[in-house]
Amino acid sequence: MTQTRLVVVSGKGGVGKSAAAAALALVHQREGQKVLAVDMLGASGLGAHLTAGKPGSEPSEIRPGLSILRIDRAKALVEYLKVQSGVPAVGTFGPLARAFDALASTAPGIREVVTIGKVLWEVRRQVWDVVVVDGPPTGQVGGYLRAPKTISELVPSGRIRQQADWMQSILLDGKITSVMLVSIPEELPTTETEETIRWLEEAEVTAAPTVIANRVLPELKTSAAGRGPVQEAAALHRSLWADQQEWLARLRPARALPYLFGLLTPGEVAARLADSWMET
Amino acid sequence: MKTQAVIVTGAGGVGKTTVATALALTAARAGRRTLVVTVDPARRLADAIGIELDDEPRPLPGEPSLWAAMLDASGSWRAVAARHTDPETARRLVESEFFAAAASHFPASQSYAAAEEAANFIESKVWDLVVIDTPPAAGGIDFFTAPGQMADLVGGRLLRLLTGGRLPGRKFIFERTARPMLRVADSILGSNLLERVAAFLMDLRTTYDGVSRRAAEIEVHLRRAVTIVVTTADPTPIREAVRFFRELPEVASRPRAVIFNRSLPESWAGAEPPPRTNLELVENLARWGQEAHRQAEARREFAARYRARVTSIPWLAHPPTDVTALAGMLGQAEGFDLEALGI
Repeated sequence: MTQTRLVVVSGKGGVGKSAAAAALALVHQREGQKVLAVDMLGASGLGAHLTAGKPGSEPSEIRPGLSILRIDRAKALVEYLKVQSGVPAVGTFGPLARAFDALASTAPGIREVVTIGKVLWEVRRQVWDVVVVDGPPTGQVGGYLRAPKTISELVPSGRIRQQADWMQSILLDGKITSVMLVSIPEELPTTETEETIRWLEEAEVTAAPTVIANRVLPELKTSAAGRGPVQEAAALHRSLWADQQEWLARLRPARALPYLFGLLTPGEVAARLADSWMET
Repeated sequence: MKTQAVIVTGAGGVGKTTVATALALTAARAGRRTLVVTVDPARRLADAIGIELDDEPRPLPGEPSLWAAMLDASGSWRAVAARHTDPETARRLVESEFFAAAASHFPASQSYAAAEEAANFIESKVWDLVVIDTPPAAGGIDFFTAPGQMADLVGGRLLRLLTGGRLPGRKFIFERTARPMLRVADSILGSNLLERVAAFLMDLRTTYDGVSRRAAEIEVHLRRAVTIVVTTADPTPIREAVRFFRELPEVASRPRAVIFNRSLPESWAGAEPPPRTNLELVENLARWGQEAHRQAEARREFAARYRARVTSIPWLAHPPTDVTALAGMLGQAEGFDLEALGI
C-alpha cells in the first residue's frame, strides 16, 4: 500500500466546507481509492452530505471504499489518557479526564492535539489511501494545525511532547498532508481566506494551502433589454457574476465548484459537486 | 429617557451587519437618536458608512441622528482583566502564556466583552435606540448565554475540576504529589505545566466578583432587548434561525421578527418567458425561478411553523455603497415596519 494522504478541508462558516469535503471524499472513492472521511469537530454536516446520518466515533464503512468517522472530543480525550497513562481502571478516568479537560481548556494546544492526534493516528495506520478531513473553520484551523508545534514549545518533556514530534513530521510533509480552503467569491470569505493563507505561511506548519471556490456562477453571454422576469433575472445574474469575477481574481482558486440552483438534499449537493469535480 | 436595545442576530455571511446598519439608519431618519454597534464590518460596508469606525461612537456625516461604533472583540479578555481586578494581577493575567489559549477556547469571552460594551452604551442614556450587531465568532445563541458562562468560568469551574471539587489555596495544588490523579496528568503533560495553569486560574478568579455582578446586569439588558433574526433562505442559516426561535424565549425573549435577506421575487417562480426569447435567457430564468420557488417555500414554512413575522429584503444586484443605498434596502423590503416591530 502506498503512503496514506491527508487532506484537511477548512473554510469560513456558510461557504459549503462540509459539502466540498464530502464531494472530495466521493471523488476519491469513485476513483477506486480507499477513503476515510472525518468529521473532525464532531458537529458538521459531513454525515448528512454522505447520507450516513450521524457518524460513529470509530470508522465505519458506509459504501464500498468509503468509511466515515466522527471525532468525539470527550471520548478522544479519555482514549488518549487510557493509552498514555497506562491506567486501565475506568474509575480513574472520571476525575482524571475532568482535570485533563480543564487543563486542555487553558493550556494552548492540548485540546487541539488530542483531536488532530486521532486524525493523524488514522493516517499513520496506513490502512487508507486518502483521509479527507472536514476540519475546523478558518478561524480555528491554524490553532489545530499548529497544536503540535505549540506543545513542543510549551512543554519541555513528558509523553505528550513525544507525540507532538511525530505529529509535526506528518503535517510538515507536503507529500502526505495538504490543506484545502473552501471559499465563495464574496468579500468577507475572500478576505478571511487570504488571512488564513498568510497565517499558515508564516506559521510554517504545513505546505501551502490550495483554494477551492464554491458557488461560482456560469457566465451569461446574452444580455436582455426591456422589463420582465427574463430581463430582471438576467440583470441580477450578470451583476452577481461580475462581482464574483472581482473576488475570484483575488482567490485564484485551483478549482471552481458551481452554484447549485433549486431545492436539493445534502446528499444531492455533494454528489453534484463531485460530478462537477470529476468533469474538470 | 429610556434607551431601547435591538439585537440583530443570525448565522455568519447572511448580511447581518448590513441589515443592522440599515435598520439603525431607518430609525434615525424617523427621528430617533440611534447608535449602531457593529463587530468587524466588511470593508465595503465600512466604506458605505463613510467614517472610520472604532470603539468611540461617532456621528455619521449628513445623518444628524445616527452614530456608529465598532467593537474589537479580540481585546476582550484584556478589557475584562483591566476592569475587574487589581493592576498587578491584570498584568500577570495578560502576560500569561495561557491567556490567549483560554480566550480562544471560550468564544463566550468575546461575546461577553461585546455585550459588556453594548451595556455601557445602553446605560449611558445618550441614545433612544442602540442597535447591536452580534459577533460572528460566537454566533447563535451564545451571545445571550455568554455572561453567565463567563461568570461561571472565572468563578473557578476549571479550578474546581482541576482539584476535584475543593477551591484550594496555592499551597494545596502544589502538593499534588499527594494526588495520584494529578501525578498521572503531570507525567503525560510533563514539567510543571499543572502548577502554571493553576496559578493562572487563581489569578483569573480574582475577577469573579466584578464579572459576576456585571454579568447579572448585562443579562437584564439582553432580556429586555428586541431581538431580530437575519437569515437567507439557504438551509444552514435557516437552521440557525430556527434555533433562535426555539431557544431564545428561554434565555432572553422571543425574536420579534425574521428578516430574509437576498430574496428573489416570487413572481419569477414558474414565470413563462415571452415567445422567441433567446434560449440562454430562458434557461437563466428557469434556474433563478427554481431558486425563487425554493426561497418562497422556505419563508412560508418558517412563518407557519414558528408563527414569525417575516420580512424579505430583495437580493440586490449591487451591494450598498453609500447610506442612500443602505436606506433603500429596507425601503424595498416587503413587510418591514419599525412600529410593528415595536421599535
